[in-house]
Amino acid sequence: MSELRDREQAKALQARSVGAAQTTRRFDVPVVVDASKCITGCRVCIESCPVDCLAVDVATGKAHMRHDECWYCLACEIDCPKDAITVKMPFLLR
Amino acid sequence: MTLSGHSDVTIVQVDVVVVGGGSAGSTAAIFAQQALPRGRVLLLEKANIKRSGAIAIGMDGLNNAVIPGHATPEQYVKEITMANDGIVNQRALLAYAENSFAMLQELDRWGVKFQKTETGDFDVKKVHHNGNYVLPMPEGYDLKRILTRRIKQAGVKVVNRVMATRLLLDGERVIGVIGFDTRDGGIQVIYANAVILCCGASGRLGLPASGYLYGTYENPANAGDGYSLAYHAGAELTGIECFQINPLIKDYNGPACAYVTGPFGGHTVNARGHRFIESDYWSGHMMLEFYRELHSENGPVFLKLDHLAPETLLEIERVLHRTERPSRGRFHAGRAQSYATDLVEMHISEIGLCSGHSASGVWVNERGETTVRGLYAAGDMACVPHNYLLGALVYGRICAEQALAYLADQPPPAPRPEHAEQIEAERLRVLAPLSRPNGIPHHQYEYKVRRLVNDYLQPPKSGYRLELALGYLERAEQELTEVGAENPHDLMRVMECHFIRDCAEMAARASLYRTESRWGLYHYRQDYPELDDDRWRVHVNLKKSAQGAMHLLERPVAPYVVPLGAEELRSYHRLRISPEARSIAALGARV
Repeated sequence: MSELRDREQAKALQARSVGAAQTTRRFDVPVVVDASKCITGCRVCIESCPVDCLAVDVATGKAHMRHDECWYCLACEIDCPKDAITVKMPFLLR
Repeated sequence: MTLSGHSDVTIVQVDVVVVGGGSAGSTAAIFAQQALPRGRVLLLEKANIKRSGAIAIGMDGLNNAVIPGHATPEQYVKEITMANDGIVNQRALLAYAENSFAMLQELDRWGVKFQKTETGDFDVKKVHHNGNYVLPMPEGYDLKRILTRRIKQAGVKVVNRVMATRLLLDGERVIGVIGFDTRDGGIQVIYANAVILCCGASGRLGLPASGYLYGTYENPANAGDGYSLAYHAGAELTGIECFQINPLIKDYNGPACAYVTGPFGGHTVNARGHRFIESDYWSGHMMLEFYRELHSENGPVFLKLDHLAPETLLEIERVLHRTERPSRGRFHAGRAQSYATDLVEMHISEIGLCSGHSASGVWVNERGETTVRGLYAAGDMACVPHNYLLGALVYGRICAEQALAYLADQPPPAPRPEHAEQIEAERLRVLAPLSRPNGIPHHQYEYKVRRLVNDYLQPPKSGYRLELALGYLERAEQELTEVGAENPHDLMRVMECHFIRDCAEMAARASLYRTESRWGLYHYRQDYPELDDDRWRVHVNLKKSAQGAMHLLERPVAPYVVPLGAEELRSYHRLRISPEARSIAALGARV
C-alpha cells in the first residue's frame, strides 16, 4: 500500500509541472457557404459577422466558418450579395 | 507619436472616443460629431458597426417609449421604481423619460418605421404591469443600417475590429483607451479628452443550458468588456447583484417573444394550459413566478399562440422571423413545430449583467457621468434600470452632450512618461497569451468559468455557494496565466475571458454583500429569503480599491422626485394569478 501511495504522491507532483499536450477535433458548424456562388475577394459576410467567426479559406479563396462561435444571427446570410450562405441551427440547439 | 517605442503600437489623439458601436455608442458618436463639426470623434468597435451590438439584426419594438397621450414621464418613473423594488436613482430615470419622446421623433425623422394607427398616432401597447410603453417596430430590421448611415453622414471616424482592454489614466482622470486589433494583433492607443463607454451587457457570464458557449441571450460579442474597463479605471459599479435573467425559447435561447405576441393575444401558460402570471413584462418578480412554475409539477412553461387566427399568426411570424433574432423561424421549422399547432416551450436564460433589462451596471448619474473624471457610460452597461433600446439611445445622446461640455473646459491630455509605462504594461499583458500557443485553449477556460457561474452564482443564491464561488474564481484568476492564443482572433477570446472572470467575481461579491432577497429571482437568497427595507434600501456599489482589491460600499437611495406609497411600491409583488381567481375566470369564460 505504501509503495502505491509513494508512487501516487510522485505522480501528483509531476502532474502539476509536466507541461501540456494537445489534440484536435472536428466541429459541425452552422454556417455553410456555397463555394460556387461565393465571390473570391468579396469579404462582405466576414465583415458582417459580429463575432468574427468567418474567414477566407486560404486553400479555396472562398469564405468559410473558421471558428465555432456562431450566434446564428443571420447577418452573413442576409448581407451576402450572392445568396451563397445558409445558416443552420448549431447542432447543440437543433 | 512614438511614445511607446514599439513598432506594433499605434497612437492617435482625438477629442472624444466612444467605445462600442451598438445602439448607445452609435448615437453618442453621431451627436458628438454633429455638435463638434471640426472635432475628432472616434468610434471604436470590436466587430463592425454595420452589424454590432445587441440589435445587430434590428429590434422589433421599443419597450419603454414615453409618448405624450399614452404615458407621462412621472408615470414611467413610478413604473420602473416599482419594477426595480425602489432601488433607483429617479433623477436618472426621469432624465430618460423626459428625453424619450424627442429621441423617438428623431428616429422617426431618420426613417425608422414605427407602428402607427390609421390616424397616424403611434400605436402604443400595454405590456408592463401598469402603464403603456411598448411601441412595435414590425419593420425594425433596418435600425442598425440607419444608425450606420447617420454615422457616415456625420463624418465620425470609425475603427472596426479593435477591442479595448484597459482605459488610460492620468492620475484619477481617464484620458484614453488601450486595445488591440483583433485581426493583426497591433496595439492601439487612443488619447482622448473624454471617453464614452457603450460596450453592452455582460452576456457571456452564465452558461446556456444547451452548453453552447455562444448560444447566449445577448450578442456574445458583449462579454462584459465595459464592466471590466470601468472597474479597472476605478469607477463604481452598482446593482451587480440584480442579475439579468430572461424567459426564453428553450434551447434556442432567444425571446419568444411575449412583448410582440402579447398585444396579439399570446400569453404564457403552464403545462396544464393555465395562465399563472398577470403580466409578461420582464421583472425579477415575474421571473420568480416563472421559475417556480417551471420547476413545479405544472412545469414546464410555454408561450401559447395556437388559439390565434391564421392571419394573426402570419403577422406575428412576419415580425419574429425577420427582426431581432430572425433564425427563430428556422429553429421551429427544424423541429417541425409551428405556432398554429404547438405551444412554444420556454425556459429561463443563463445569468448576465445588463441594465437594459435589470439594473446591473456602471454607476452613472442623470448626466451619464461615472465616478471617474472624463469617463461616461451609456446603454446596457450603464445603470439606468430597465433602460432598453430607447434608453441606450437617449443616454448615448446625453453622454455626448455632457462629454462635450466637459472637454470644453479641459486641456487636451499631454502624453507623459507615466502613460508610456501604462501602455507598455498593457502591451505585455495583452500579448502574453501569444507566447503560450500551447497554453489552455480559451474555449476550455471559458466553459469552466461559466460552468462555475451556473453552479454557484445562479439564483437561488446562498452564502455558502457564493463563498465557494469566490474561492474558485480566485483560482480562475491564476489559471488565466496558463491560457494561450495562437492568433489575434483567439487573443480576443482570451482577453474576453478576463472580462468574464472579472464580472463573475463582481457578481459573487455583490450577491454575498446584500443579505436580503430583492428583485424576485434576480437576487433571491435562500439564506435571507425576505426583503428587508429597514437595512437594505440602499444601492450596493463596488469599486477597485487603491490596493487593487474589490471593495463593496453602499450609497443611499436619493429622495424620490416622484413619490410612491408603500403599497404602490409593492405592486410588482402581486403578479401571480391565484388559483381562486383562475377558477373564477374560467367560470366566467364558460358562462
